[in-house]
This record gives sequence, C-alpha cells and structure tokens, in this order.
Amino acid sequence: MSLFEPTSADFEPLPRQEKTEQITRPSLSYWQDAWVRLKKNTRAIISLGIIILLALFTLIGPLLWSVNPALQNLNQVSQAPSWAKSAVIIAPYQDWDGIRLEGYTSPNQIASAVPAPTGFAMADTPTTQRVRLIWDQTPGADGYNVYRNNRAPRDFNDLGLPLGSTYGNELSYEDRLSLEPRAYYYSLVPTDGYDEYEVYSQLILTPVLAITPDEAVERGLVTDPSEVNIGDDITIEFHPFGTDYLGRDMLARLMEGARVSLFIGIVAPFLFVLVGIIYGGFAGYFGGQLDGLLMRFAEFVVALPFLLFMILFKIAFGIGPGESGIMPMLLALILLSWPSTARLVRGQVLQIREEGYIEAARLLGAKDHYLILRHIIPNTMGVILVTLTFAVPSAIFTEAFLSFIGMGVAPPTPSWGSMCNEGVKTMLSHPHELIFPAVFISITVLAFNLLGDGLTEALDSKMRSRD
Amino acid sequence: MRHITVFLTCLLCQFAHAEVEATSVDFHSQTLTIALTQEPPQLNSAKATDQVSGLVLGHLMQGLVRYDRRGNVIPGVAERWEMTETTATFWLRKDAKWSDGKPVTAHDFVFAWQRVADPKTASQYAFILSPIKNAAEINEGKLPVTELGVLALDDRTLQVTLARPTAYFVKLTVFNTFYPIRQDFFESRGDQYAADAKDLLYNGPFKMTEWTHSASLKMIKNEHYWDRENISLNAINVDYITADTRARLNLYTDGKIAFTRLDGETYKDALSQRFRIRRFTTGSTFYLEYNHRPGKPTANLNLRKAIQYIFDPDEMVNRVLATPGNLRGESLFPVWLNGVNDKFRREYPAPQAGYNVKEAKRYLELAVNEIGPIPPLVLLVSDSPTATKQGEYMQGVLLNKLGIELKIDVQTFKQRLAKMTSGEFDIVGAGWGPDFDDILTFGDLLASWNMNNRGRYNNPEYDRLVRLTMNSTDPKTRMDAMGKAQQILFDDAVVLPQYEQGVIYLLHPKIKGVARRVIGPDPDFTYAKIVP
Repeated sequence: MSLFEPTSADFEPLPRQEKTEQITRPSLSYWQDAWVRLKKNTRAIISLGIIILLALFTLIGPLLWSVNPALQNLNQVSQAPSWAKSAVIIAPYQDWDGIRLEGYTSPNQIASAVPAPTGFAMADTPTTQRVRLIWDQTPGADGYNVYRNNRAPRDFNDLGLPLGSTYGNELSYEDRLSLEPRAYYYSLVPTDGYDEYEVYSQLILTPVLAITPDEAVERGLVTDPSEVNIGDDITIEFHPFGTDYLGRDMLARLMEGARVSLFIGIVAPFLFVLVGIIYGGFAGYFGGQLDGLLMRFAEFVVALPFLLFMILFKIAFGIGPGESGIMPMLLALILLSWPSTARLVRGQVLQIREEGYIEAARLLGAKDHYLILRHIIPNTMGVILVTLTFAVPSAIFTEAFLSFIGMGVAPPTPSWGSMCNEGVKTMLSHPHELIFPAVFISITVLAFNLLGDGLTEALDSKMRSRD
Repeated sequence: MRHITVFLTCLLCQFAHAEVEATSVDFHSQTLTIALTQEPPQLNSAKATDQVSGLVLGHLMQGLVRYDRRGNVIPGVAERWEMTETTATFWLRKDAKWSDGKPVTAHDFVFAWQRVADPKTASQYAFILSPIKNAAEINEGKLPVTELGVLALDDRTLQVTLARPTAYFVKLTVFNTFYPIRQDFFESRGDQYAADAKDLLYNGPFKMTEWTHSASLKMIKNEHYWDRENISLNAINVDYITADTRARLNLYTDGKIAFTRLDGETYKDALSQRFRIRRFTTGSTFYLEYNHRPGKPTANLNLRKAIQYIFDPDEMVNRVLATPGNLRGESLFPVWLNGVNDKFRREYPAPQAGYNVKEAKRYLELAVNEIGPIPPLVLLVSDSPTATKQGEYMQGVLLNKLGIELKIDVQTFKQRLAKMTSGEFDIVGAGWGPDFDDILTFGDLLASWNMNNRGRYNNPEYDRLVRLTMNSTDPKTRMDAMGKAQQILFDDAVVLPQYEQGVIYLLHPKIKGVARRVIGPDPDFTYAKIVP
C-alpha cells in the first residue's frame, strides 16, 4: 500500500469558478409566479376566457349585431330562437264587413236544441294578419260563439279560447288575436243569443306568416314599399335568441343589458375596494386608538340597511319616476360595501407591519410613505385582488336583484335582472325570455367566482414552495 | 293481518274524507265554494264603493229593482213603479222580509238613503243620489237630512221627488248605495254596523252566517227571502281570499273553488289543462287621460292629435293585451250603452283616427312649432303587470315612430290616484267602470265639475251637452247631445281610448245559471244551480 504523499501542487488554490451552484428554476417575480400557477388551474383559465368573451360581447357585440334593442315588433312577440323565416307580402289590413243577413229577425221562442252549424269555412287565405271565418245560418240559433284551440279539442268543454260572439244575423267572424303560423282548431257554437247549445262545428287551418309592405319598410327589410309586390316572399329578420314580450330582439337586449350589469359589476367593486384599501390601510398602519375608532365606524356602516339607503339616495338625487336608478345604486354600493375590504386590509397591514423586514427597513431610515408603498401595499395585493374578484359577482347580483324588483334601470333600458323579472312572468309559456338572461347572470357570476378562487390559490405566497 | 286491515280502512276513510272536502260544487247539498280577491272592505251598503263588497252585498241584499240574467230591469223589493217628470213612486211587495222575519218597508229605504246623503256618513257615492231633490244640498250640509226628497207614503209606498227629470232613475236604484237599511237594527249596532256577520240584517236571497275576517265567509239561503222557491243554492262558501291569479288557478285545478278569473299568463295553463274557458265583457273602458292643465305639453291639441294618429288600437288589443274578449277602444262610450232604439254606438258611430304615421308626423310638426321641442312626457301607470306592459308598449310606439320620449311612472293604486288628483303626470292610464245603466255614467266623466276628470279638461260646450243630457228625459235629445260630446272628445283628442275590457274565466261545468253583468254584482250566483 502506498501512502499519500502530498506534493506542492496539492497546495495550489483551485481555479476560481464562476458558478458554484446551478439554479434549476428561472428566477420569477411574484406576479410571474402567480401567473404560472394560475395557468395550471384550468377552471380559472376557462373563467378568465369567459370574462374576456363577455367583455367582447358587451363592447364589440353591439357593433356586429346592430339591432335596436328598443325596437318593438308586435307581430313577432315572444318568438323562440329560430332561423330566419320567410313571410308573404300582403296588402295592408282593410276592415271587413263580413256577412250580415238582411231582414233578419230573432226566433220568436228559444229553441230547445239546434243542429251543429254547417258551412263553417274560411273566407279567404288565412294569414297571421287576420283569419276570416264564415258559416251558414243555423235554424233556431240567435247567435254564435267562436272558439280557437291550439290542439284538437276532445269534447265540448275543450274548445279552447273563447274568441268572440256574433249576433244571429252575423254569419262571419274575423280573428286577429296574436295569430302565429301554426295549426289552429276553430270551433263554432250556436247560441240562443245568450246561452250555448251543446253542439259545435270544427275547422282546422294554418295561417301563413305575412307582412305588409309598410311593415317591411318599418322593419328595415326594404327601403321603399314599391320594392315589393303583394304575394312576394320576403325573408324577415332573424332573432338568434328569440324575441321578448314586445317583440324586441333578445340578443340586442342581452348586449345592452350586459353593459348595465357589467358597469355596475366592475365600477362599483373597483371603487369600494379602493376606499376599503385606503381606510383599512390607515387604520392598520397607525393602529392604536385611531384604529379602534375607525373600525367601530366601519362596523356602524356594516349595520346600515342597503335597500333603505338605495331608496333614500334615489329620492335625494331627485331621480324622478321613470328614470334610471343606476347612479344611486352605484353610490349606495360604494358607500355601504367598503367595510369588508377595509377590515381585510387592516388585518393584513397589522400583521405585515410587525414583520422583521419592516423593522429592518425602518431602522435603515425608511419613511412611512416608503414603507407603505414599497412593502405593505404590494404584500396585501393578493388579498385585495381576491376581494375584488369576489366583489364583482356580488355587485352584479345586487344590480340584477334591484332591477328585478324594479329599483334599477328604467324601461326601455334592459338589464339582465330586469329581463329576468319580465321573463319570470312568462316562464311557463315562453321560457327563453327567462332562461337567457338568467344563464348570462349565472355564467358571469360563476366565472368571476372561479377566477377569484384561482387567484386566491395563485397569489397565496405560502403555496409557492409546493412545486 | 288485522293491523293492516285497520290501517287500510283508515287510509280509505281519509281518502273518502279528502274527496268530500275537495269538491268545489256539491249537487246534493247544493253548495258552492268560491274565492274572493280580497276581504270585502265595506259591507255597509251606504258606504261600499268597491267591486268585492258589491259582489257580496249583491247576494245578501236587494234593492227596489234588479237585473235579470239578460240585463232587463225586473221587480225586486218593489212590485211595480211609476215615473213622472218630477216623481218616482214604488209599490213594495208584501212578502219582502228581513232575515229576522220582519217586513221590508218603505221607511227602510228612506232611512238608508238619508244615511247616504248625510255628510256625517261621508259616503263616496253620495253623488249618485243627486237626481233626488235636495240630495246635493244635504250632502253639502246646507239642509237637514229630513229634507231629502224621499217619502214613505205608507209602509209599502215609496215616493221619490226628483231634483230634475231623470230618465234613468229606476235603473239607478239597482246600485248597492240604494239598498235598504232598517233603522232600529242600524241604531242598535252603532259603529259596529256591518262589521261582522251578526251585525248586518239581510233582505236578499242569502244571509251571511260566518265571517272570519281576511280568511273566509259563508252565505246560506235566506229562509225569509220572498223568492226563495226559485233559489237552488243552499250555501255559498268563500273559503279562500287571495288576489293571486295563479294561486286561484291552482285552487281551481285542485277542485277547491268553482270560479276564477284568468289573466294573460294563467290562461295558457288553463288551456293546456283543457279547462272550459269563458269570456265576458266587463263594460269598462280603458283610456289614456291627458293632463290639460295649462303649461303641460299635453295641453297642446296638436300633440294630442299626433298621439291619436300614431296609436293603433288593433295592435293594442290583439298583440299587446292578447287575451280574448277585449274590444278595441274607439270611444269613451262602450258598445253596450243603449241609445234611442238600438245601441248608442250603432246609432252614433264613433269617429276614428286610424293608424296614420304621416298625419301623426304632420300634427307633431305643428305641435313643435307651437310649443317647441317636446320634452320627455311622464306616463303614470298602476303597478299591475299588464299596465306596465302597456306603458312600455306606448313608450316604444312614441319613441320609435314619433321620437317622443316617454318616462313610465309606476305607482301603486292609491299612490297613482293621489298623483292623478294632484296632476303630477302628463298622461295617465285610466279606466272607468259604469255605476248605472245610462250613458251619463261615462258622459259626465269629463265635465269640468267632475272630480274624476283628473286631467282637468274644461270645455264649456262639453259641459253644456252633459247638462242637457242630465236635465232631459227625451231619449233623442239626450243621445244627440252625447253624440256631439263623442265628436268633441274625438276632435279635441281629450282622452285616448285604448280598449274595452274583456275578461276570461273558469267556471265549474256543473254550475248553471251564473249571471255575469256589467252593472250590479258580478258574478251573480243568486239563480245558479248545480246539476249532477
């Protein structure tokens, strides 16, 4: 075995190495790190995408879909979403005298029974403008009732809507009651002028969708009535989301409603969070008696009822009847919602100002404003952002609720909440009027909440060491 | 095994019991269960003003005359009557009795009518007595109540001295303000009169036996009623009091009530459940009333004309209201009013503007020349869903077709009335139901002295025509005057008639003989019977 023989070379210093240790990860700032972690959260990223889409829907949408959201079309009321439809051009409506018997006299005595009416037919082609019905005189009857049903009647008690009555000498009836291009089952019941005989005749017909040249001009389908001829087919406007109870385009209304909802949803939280940061920062940083005083005041504000203040502001602002209540709503939201943010920020600041690095900075001669701007605010940023994202959905919801109870926007301006309010009345017959705005509210609120969750995780510095 | 049998039997009894309870009509006991929209606010016939009280009172009391199912005047407590220019004399039937068995006398009518006229009663319907001599003066406190021109010549003869010739006086006495009140009973109850079932004396076909306030009431056949042989129903139960049409439809579906009115939404459910739907025209006119006070933009005739030409009553009725039974508004005077020989509206067809955008724009231009750009107008509406929908429709029409901005002021019924009275509106959605069967019930509505003329329309020529109709008994003179009044209403665009109201309702198919009427208690179950 050989012994270790040290040589002088062993005592030479090693060459100076530039890199003593390899850093395996790139150096990331706080925000870069948060973004990396947020990107891994699929839910949060989808939510962010939805929020961006919503912003585009609100800002760019009206440019692409330039339909007037206040334009009513009473001929297309409560239409379900559908493709563009084709309508026939017909002549403007003319009064119809119908068929009247000359020299008619009522039967001398009331017959105990009469036969079912005969000759029940349509007078001409039925359109959605009017359906004209005629029939032959029924011996013994002194009047007729006309019924309309959407499906085949089962028996005498299932004739449907009682449209109207005629006297014994009138052998015709004109129906104009919200006609749609669908099959109708008309029934005709003879009466003694007052009570019905339990017999009826039936007629099934389907009116064609029709529009007059003047209406076509009003709807912007043509520029001049002479461009179209009676009997032509014309493609009428397309409502991808259907129409509401006054025939207004739902898509255009949803876009305009989004503007109101998102305005309140973004501006109100932004402002009250700002107020909360300043207030809470002050209380937390200076502490002591001032803190106690400020926080008691914040608790006092928490106890104030929001709805009452909303109403008070509405009056104080001199908001007259039929004017929008958006501004008082914004003010009430700002004035009454900041304490929660203030409390959170105060807690954070109280904690941070006792940290060692603050003490160190102070010893090095840092002034208050430097400490606040350089150390304290950046360190509370995570909490603030999370509060903000959670405040947005709650503000949107508040707006929707207030508009739902009629304290928000004034008609004809829509907001998602007021649209829900209108839609809920026709929930069973025309569900799309409720479903669309409700879905928009739900998706927006959900997206902001999920993004807030994602941000909480991403911005929490304790999570940093995990990966 | 025995346990199970017992259990099953109990279950069966429960089912059987439930079935008995759930029948809104019962053939064997001839009972009927209905719901009211609200608790009757006032059952003192001298003070009652609303429809629900009118409906209940109509079954409990009877006036001098009444209407049959087809709207003809038939004898009530009075057997016959006679009218002259200055007097009306009624001969009362011998067998008319109160529910305690005592006869109904002419004194009961004298006492009741004096109560109405008495300013201390503060009856809102005191004005309806105005055709009677001294009624107005008594109500103003200028004369004692004993001066009222009503006299009981004997127990069974009532003589009324008229202040002016009143052609429609007999029809007037159908109204609940003219029901009798018996003095000794009224005085024995004091302030409690009509406050509870036992604090009211009945002379009608039914009497009230139970009244749980805000919950239910029960009316049973009055065994002292003179025409009791012709009354089939033994009892009318009001088991529910709710204004919610959907709740009432559910009660009807469950077989708990036999009658309910439908609205624009509930009728679709009723249709899909295959219920028999019926229709009735209430006789009320709905119109937009303009504010004619000086300084208001709507005081300008050309602006009103512009709105008149842009409004399409056909669209309103068929597409906005979209329930059957409504007639398009062509005049303040509804179609059912009688004229000289036929219906008034057939003898004096209402002039029509017709939907005409060009004409509307021409009038608007004239208006702008006169009063400058049109400021946003305030439309006052009540808070019912249909009223707000109609308001939004008008808003769309005026904005999109004429560029006039309309602000909708939604108020509760009471608040709306207060604002109407103080004139805080430009346009207000109003409706008027008839009080009595004469054209004047609508005609005097826009007379300058009428407190219901909320827009304070003032036209001496219109007033003259109303006075002429009031003071004349000649049908031709009266109808001619009202025909001219109708023309003035159109030319001056005083109000904008929108529609004549129709309602749709459900009635249990086993009930026959229910009367729906324009004037008087509606619906009237008096002669209803339940068939097997």
